[in-house]
Amino acid sequence: MGKKDTNVRMSLQTLRVLEVFLENPVEQLAGAEVHQRCGIASGTLYPILIRLESAGWFVSQWESIDPSSAGRPRRRLYRLTSTGLRLASEVFASFNRGVLA
Amino acid sequence: MSQRNERPTQFELNGLTQWLIHYAAGQAPECLSSRLEEEWLADSASRSSALSRLCFAVGCYWAAIVIVYEFPRAHVTAVSPVVAARGFILLADSNSGYFSLRSATLFLIIGIHAALFCGLITTLSHTRGMWAPATLQGHMLNRIPTETEITDALSGK
Repeated sequence: MGKKDTNVRMSLQTLRVLEVFLENPVEQLAGAEVHQRCGIASGTLYPILIRLESAGWFVSQWESIDPSSAGRPRRRLYRLTSTGLRLASEVFASFNRGVLA
Repeated sequence: MSQRNERPTQFELNGLTQWLIHYAAGQAPECLSSRLEEEWLADSASRSSALSRLCFAVGCYWAAIVIVYEFPRAHVTAVSPVVAARGFILLADSNSGYFSLRSATLFLIIGIHAALFCGLITTLSHTRGMWAPATLQGHMLNRIPTETEITDALSGK
């Protein structure tokens, strides 16, 4: 496969999602937790997560729990990749430069 | 049974929520469908109230529409072997438009309303003719006739 296209349209909601992940880049977050932290509705949030994942900014995996013993279904956890961390940092750096200029 | 009788609405809302999430996930691309359904059901379970879960499910339906719009089935099919091999969703991002689907829908609704108002204003407004017949046209009087002259004129004197 060729090199992945990492271009993502940067909306305000996308920036807010990235901001949540940049607070602790190694933390894995479920969609529900992202919603709690940034308040973005599910109709907007999940397309952003899928979009960022398909562009290689995020990776996701199932929570490693036993649903029967935990008493709840396993969640899908998202985490920034090294590429995503670098690109998100660049986006916020350029954004800050643009605002301050 | 008694618990169900106490709060039947909550059970109905939860059932509706699960059905809506199942339906929404079914609208998503095939390689994402089962994953999204499990993910959304898990995330909806973390909500406190039944109404909140229902709102979440409605949002999921919108999310499925957006995902289908952004990731056409042709692209998903083309990369599905890679998806199976890596266990990772690798989809081509075809979202190169100026506006998101939600913004485009908003602009479409605003445009339809504007066209409707323009049509109503155009069709319902009064039209005034540019030309009036001679009998209806006004004439300037040089002298105002007296009452006696008017009476004489009316009586034919």
